[in-house]
Amino acid sequence: MRRGETIPSGARRTVTGPVKPAASWRELGSVAAGLALLAGASAQARAAGYSEFIDSLQFRGFRAEASYTTDDNVTRAPAGDALRDRILGVRVSAGGVIPISPRTRVSIQGFAGTQRFSTYTGLSNNFIGTQADFFFRASGEFAAPTYGAFVRTAKEEYESTLRDGYRHAFGVTVLKPATDKVQLSGGVTYNITDGKSTVFDAKNVSLRGNADWSLGRWDTVYMGVEYRRGDSISTTGPTLSAVPSPNITDDAFSDSLRTAYRLKASTFVATLGYNHAFSGGHSLDVSWRRVQSKAQDSPPGSIDLSYAVNQFSLAYLARF
Amino acid sequence: MRPLGELDDPRRRILIQALAAGFFSSAGNAAAQLFGKAPGRLPAGQSIFRVTGRVTVNTQLATLRTRIVPGDTVETAPNAEVVFAVAEEAFLLRGASRMVIEKPPSGLTTALRLVTGKVLSVFGRGRPTRIVTATSTIGIRGTGAYAETDPEQTYFCTCYGVADIVANNDPSSRETVSASHHDRPLYILAKGKAGGSIRNAPFINHTDQELALIEALVGRTPPFVFPLDTYNAPRRDYP
Repeated sequence: MRRGETIPSGARRTVTGPVKPAASWRELGSVAAGLALLAGASAQARAAGYSEFIDSLQFRGFRAEASYTTDDNVTRAPAGDALRDRILGVRVSAGGVIPISPRTRVSIQGFAGTQRFSTYTGLSNNFIGTQADFFFRASGEFAAPTYGAFVRTAKEEYESTLRDGYRHAFGVTVLKPATDKVQLSGGVTYNITDGKSTVFDAKNVSLRGNADWSLGRWDTVYMGVEYRRGDSISTTGPTLSAVPSPNITDDAFSDSLRTAYRLKASTFVATLGYNHAFSGGHSLDVSWRRVQSKAQDSPPGSIDLSYAVNQFSLAYLARF
Repeated sequence: MRPLGELDDPRRRILIQALAAGFFSSAGNAAAQLFGKAPGRLPAGQSIFRVTGRVTVNTQLATLRTRIVPGDTVETAPNAEVVFAVAEEAFLLRGASRMVIEKPPSGLTTALRLVTGKVLSVFGRGRPTRIVTATSTIGIRGTGAYAETDPEQTYFCTCYGVADIVANNDPSSRETVSASHHDRPLYILAKGKAGGSIRNAPFINHTDQELALIEALVGRTPPFVFPLDTYNAPRRDYP
């Protein structure tokens, strides 16, 4: 279904989550508050004045990424309803840092991009967003950890309608070199998606850890694990006898009647990747991501709504 | 009844034999080779922190036990690398490089000659040092520096500290760079116009994490807190 078309009412099952007229201003307000908190993080910045604060921005250049991904479950559905697709992605970003003090700084980044699905084009989307990070590092010692807090917000426009909306995230991070070849990082993130339909309004918390293992100057293997708890959104076909609520006919799929639903789930995400850098700020990256999600608090004897996803990605990155 | 000292548990026997053979020490070394180790001030008598690929010191194959002292020549094969310290100075010598750590002339604590290749170096504060490359002579004080040299040109970045740079073939081309964080990388040309043999260059081929690593080998910390650049792999969130 293309944007602007109406949702076929005859195809709709139980619609317990109505389509909303506008984004949730309460959540946008909380993101704005987070940004304001970061921007006002330093007394020095306040004393120096806003324009001087912005003048101290050190531009760090542009980054671009082109990727090809195969995804064996774009519906995030139990095995019988899993649909496979291929996705081309492009993302560009630009950013800079503002030193606040010798041990603290703010990083600001703007990004935009697109994802084009080969078969289920209703999932294709464009996005634009911004991220601000506040970093603290006690010293320049090799193993000194860097602590961070960030807020990110992005606007997403799909080829379908119901998913259109905003995606926000707040979190804290830590990055620590463990050895001369291994760097560890971790973080806790609160994710909010705010779609046109309330079915696509989701909140969850993720806890993640990552290890970068340098095989040499140009080659890095990275491994990541993430545990996510909270709302999860899936789309099912006619095979599911009882669809959880809230749900709505998913307008991203035109091959058959499919229903999107939201439920509470525990999700494990594991990522294994390999990055080969070339001189001059270019690199090639391959990665495999495995996702395993299980519904929370399922009553005994209920339908099994757990699902698994495998994503393989090949990406080319450039910095200029 | 078994004689005293004879072990009746075969697992225990294997464990003791493995300990006696230094198995766990070797395994630890292998793990360090694979996953690295946290850098710290090198113990007295140890010069090399990490050696990868074919590296020679005075034409002898280098190991972690090889000592490097003034007067030695360190050479790396393509794709090799060695990280080492000599007195209060520490170096990361990349592949296809040849460096001579000269016995310092009077008034200098260190002097080195980078014949060819690429080296990242840190020097003790307040210790005047001289680096000679294929196309330049650089006098430095309390500096972190990165140099790449070939017969045509030298790339030189004063990562922090002060450097007095002179083109070998054109003494009228000279610059003094006082840098706090890679402020002014330069190319020093072998065949430049008189007075124009030194040109501005971009920041390339070395990282702040590498500087922090070699400073740690001599018990110091670089003057900056945040690295200039970080790893550039994608970290896409699962939507």
